[in-house]
Amino acid sequence: MISRFGAFLRSSIGKKALMAVTGLLLIGFLIVHVVGNLTLYADGDGTQFNAYAAKLEALGPLKVLAEVGLTVLFLAHIALGLRTALENREARPERYKDLAPKGRRTMASMTMVVTGAVLLVFLVIHVIDFRLADFSKVGLAKLVMERLTSPLGAGIYLVSMAFLGSHLWHAFQSLFQTLGLRHPSYAPTIKWVGSALALAIAGLFASFPVLCMMFEGQWPWS
Amino acid sequence: MSGGHDHHSGGLNLTLHVWRQKDAQAEGRFETYALQGISEHCSFLEMLDQLNEQLLREGRDPVAFDHDCREGICGSCGVVINGQAHGPDRETATCQLHMRRFHDGDTIYVEPFRAKAFPIQRDLVVDRSAFDRIVSKGGFVSVNTGAPQDANGLPVPKENADLAMDAASCIGCGACVAACPNAAAMLFVGAKISHLGLLPQGAPERRRRVLAMVEQMDRDGFGNCGNIYECEAACPKSISVENIARLNREYIVASACERPAVERIGD
Amino acid sequence: MSTTAIQGSPKLVSKCPSGPMSERWDKHRFDLKLVNPANRRKYHVLVVGTGLAGASAAASLAEMGYRVTVLCIHDSPRRAHSIAAQGGINAAKNYPNDGDSIRRLFYDTVKGGDYRAREANVYRLAQVSNSIIDQCVAQGVPFARDYGGLLDNRSFGGAQVARTFYARGQTGQQLLIGAYHALMRQVGLGKVALFPRREMLDLVVVDGVARGVVARELTGGAIESYAADAVLLCTGGYGNVFFLSTNAKFSNATAIWRAHKRGALFGNPCFTQIHPTCIPVSGSYQSKLTLMSESLRNDGRVWVPKSKGDRRSPDQIPEADRDYYLERLYPSFGNLVPRDIASRRAKEMVDEGRGVGETAMAVYLDFRDAIQRDGAPKIREKYGNLFQMYERITADDPYHVPMRIYPAVHYTMGGLWVDYNLESTIPGLFVLGEANFSDHGANRLGASALMQGLADGYFVIPATIASHLAGRKLPKVTTDHAQFKQVEGEVQARLRRLLAIDGRRSADDLHRDLGLAMWEHCGMGRSDAGLSKGLAKIRALRSEFWENLRVLGQGEELNRELEKAGRVADFMELAELMVLDAQYRKESCGGHFRVEYQTEEGEALRDDANFCHVAAWEHTEEGGAMRWNLHQEPLSFEEVKLTQRSYK
Repeated sequence: MISRFGAFLRSSIGKKALMAVTGLLLIGFLIVHVVGNLTLYADGDGTQFNAYAAKLEALGPLKVLAEVGLTVLFLAHIALGLRTALENREARPERYKDLAPKGRRTMASMTMVVTGAVLLVFLVIHVIDFRLADFSKVGLAKLVMERLTSPLGAGIYLVSMAFLGSHLWHAFQSLFQTLGLRHPSYAPTIKWVGSALALAIAGLFASFPVLCMMFEGQWPWS
Repeated sequence: MSGGHDHHSGGLNLTLHVWRQKDAQAEGRFETYALQGISEHCSFLEMLDQLNEQLLREGRDPVAFDHDCREGICGSCGVVINGQAHGPDRETATCQLHMRRFHDGDTIYVEPFRAKAFPIQRDLVVDRSAFDRIVSKGGFVSVNTGAPQDANGLPVPKENADLAMDAASCIGCGACVAACPNAAAMLFVGAKISHLGLLPQGAPERRRRVLAMVEQMDRDGFGNCGNIYECEAACPKSISVENIARLNREYIVASACERPAVERIGD
Repeated sequence: MSTTAIQGSPKLVSKCPSGPMSERWDKHRFDLKLVNPANRRKYHVLVVGTGLAGASAAASLAEMGYRVTVLCIHDSPRRAHSIAAQGGINAAKNYPNDGDSIRRLFYDTVKGGDYRAREANVYRLAQVSNSIIDQCVAQGVPFARDYGGLLDNRSFGGAQVARTFYARGQTGQQLLIGAYHALMRQVGLGKVALFPRREMLDLVVVDGVARGVVARELTGGAIESYAADAVLLCTGGYGNVFFLSTNAKFSNATAIWRAHKRGALFGNPCFTQIHPTCIPVSGSYQSKLTLMSESLRNDGRVWVPKSKGDRRSPDQIPEADRDYYLERLYPSFGNLVPRDIASRRAKEMVDEGRGVGETAMAVYLDFRDAIQRDGAPKIREKYGNLFQMYERITADDPYHVPMRIYPAVHYTMGGLWVDYNLESTIPGLFVLGEANFSDHGANRLGASALMQGLADGYFVIPATIASHLAGRKLPKVTTDHAQFKQVEGEVQARLRRLLAIDGRRSADDLHRDLGLAMWEHCGMGRSDAGLSKGLAKIRALRSEFWENLRVLGQGEELNRELEKAGRVADFMELAELMVLDAQYRKESCGGHFRVEYQTEEGEALRDDANFCHVAAWEHTEEGGAMRWNLHQEPLSFEEVKLTQRSYK
């Protein structure tokens, strides 16, 4: 069976399927992540947010497991992305003068490698910013606020979220196709849900730097 | 035949940049030609015929291009015109593209279908035998000539027959590969998988078929599908990318369910 | 030209079995020798061409265990011109319960062919027609079906029953893909060696038996020899002798013409089918003509204005001023008369000055009434791709403007003479499909070409090839044999000669002139004087060809001009034989219409007393000039009474 699974993973369709599955799981992670982050809006001083962070910390080995899992997902997704991108280049050694659009290509679908690469750089920055930083003294909420209210930090986060939105916009509908789950009767729904999801995730993430800059924790609703 | 005449005496004046390449090994490059007075009623290939007549008169080698039926069904022809496989029209093979689609003074770039799996043989002629190799691995129903059951002994739901026919209308021209930014052959293979998989006749070997065909497709060096859907737009028969979804589904299921001993289909 | 007729020629032994018609094929198969399964791998069969006949034959023979080599002129076997057949394939299934039977299909085909086909062959064709449908369905050919999941039928010209199976307007494509799948399966299994982009340039005959061919590899120009124990020519028809035809650009006569010059007799070369429903010529740049399936005549009504020179647009011409001439002349068959009749009547209308369109060289095929009756969606479902094809070429929308159609050369009933086993007069050389002269007589009915190609390949040749393989001693011959070297040398010399002319005109240009001469003098209406004129033109063109042809480049490269030149050189010779045969046949029958021989109503007038035979021509040379001896195979009609065809 191993050889069969190996053959599946070496095949073009297998690679794409695995990319789709890892991508789907990563979307799941992003949803959890963004919902968790919403606790930042619960109060002005970040108490709830810090409590949420502490809860995650308290998970102990489970948290380690989740982090290892996430790392594996990211690495697999990235590795497959690079691998297929290289293969795709090889598949057309001599380029066209200019391959003009005729069909349904979109900016998002044509730039998955680019948006992916930008997100990879962002991921490194993001991990350094928050995961590897020492926030035991000030609390995570304070750190976040500091980072997101600096023009550079806010800029990096906002731009990256635009790329995330684009990546997700193509990724969500695309993964249904790749996993063979796309059917004409619900393809429009998938497209609609995908667009909404991409907008929601990227938009909510982007709201943090924007609102932090605007209100510096003094939320109008709290 | 007698009686024919050109409707428009003026016609189009065009600048053509055509990819010229002596053979598979040679370096290729664009060469520029000026053409005058092309009737807008003639087809793109008839325009190339006239270019070749002109080159021949000037003692220069004519442009080699593949073509045969010139009615959009044999799949022989196919060039990339201004970056678009089979040119700007939908559901149109190069031979069906008419010059009325162009304007006087236009500049037109003509290139071969480009893919590692489609090596150039000369000028605009490419070798698409990779498609035949893929079909030889499983693109068939394993039935010998003989005395099968009566044709009506096996009812096929009309919907399935129609969908199978949609997929089977593929002419094997390779425009899907040419138009794909990744040079993937998924639409071609997907169409074959759908055509045979949707019919009860093709069902018994559907898993072995999809495994064998995809294996050969990968071996021939086609790219990976990025769900960009340019293939569908370039396809002269408008074959739907739904067939790629079906191919993915069939392949994933077959990979999970088929027993490991993969002998070739038909053995 | 003087011809010596050899009646009941000893060269032409039809090998038709005797006995009751319905049992002949069975009896013949029983009487045929067999090659036992273990011995089949010892025999090597060479198949040239991968259309319906070639692909089906190669696949079937490989399945049986023979070693098979296939040469294909295209880059892939799937591109053969069978793929362009639109309308359908006939079979005597009688699924619609409208009174069809093997006997009726046989009768319709003999009558449709105007009594110039061999009865036993046609009966066999009708018999195996049903197996073809079964076979194709088993292969996964997606024929049209109704909501119950069963197969749908439609009707075609020359028949009053619905016996035509179809896959939208792409029946030929689907059948060819079925045969191609079967062939590629054998390629994958290593049972068939497939050589694409190979053009057969000559036949190699060793000790009187066909033992192989010499071919040119088209991408690099190498001259290659292929040896075998039997050679099957499945290379299609020669309609492109007219330059403009519905045939594909690669379709050519070289394979059969070379075999003819090596001794295979050519049967009824003048029998050409002019298809009534093609898109008219629009300009001098035109490279080919496009057929609109005959199935359109099921719903479309053919008409011209009643008065000459009526230049009003069709929607301005009221019902009273329209002449639905086929319905008027042939009330019982109406628009569904056989092709030869529909074509000739269209020509008459145009000759009378009642033609339509800018060139006045067309008649209308109008769907207005059908669209009113069934609605546009129904019509779209039936003919959508044809309408689209028409609109693309003409820029007219046939849902709103009637189609303009005109006859064009489509099919050649003539071809290499073969016996009941499909063997030519050269032992070991079998000829299948359109390349042979066989089953359609002087006119082929719609949806019968696909039937014949597949009958020959799937069901006839697998049985009859054993008569040769098991019936003759076949010493081992390889491509090292002196005869192969000799023919290779001749092929090389011919190519060198073409390259050396260095004249001013392209092969296409000369071919176009040949086509015009043929269309004018050997087309829909032929006369003795016209044919003589045609002959003179052909000979003049042929000498110009050999003095004024221009081919650039070399033989050792992909050289399309050189390929074309070789084909045109052979068309130039074949054209002469066609004219000769047309001049010889002093009667009108089917697609061969001699204006001197017609009834008062303008129908073809056969001369059964003098011409109820196959004219098979033997090529000879006399002081470097071509000469032909005529051999006659008398045709006898035991089952179908010889009568004047009537579709009134």
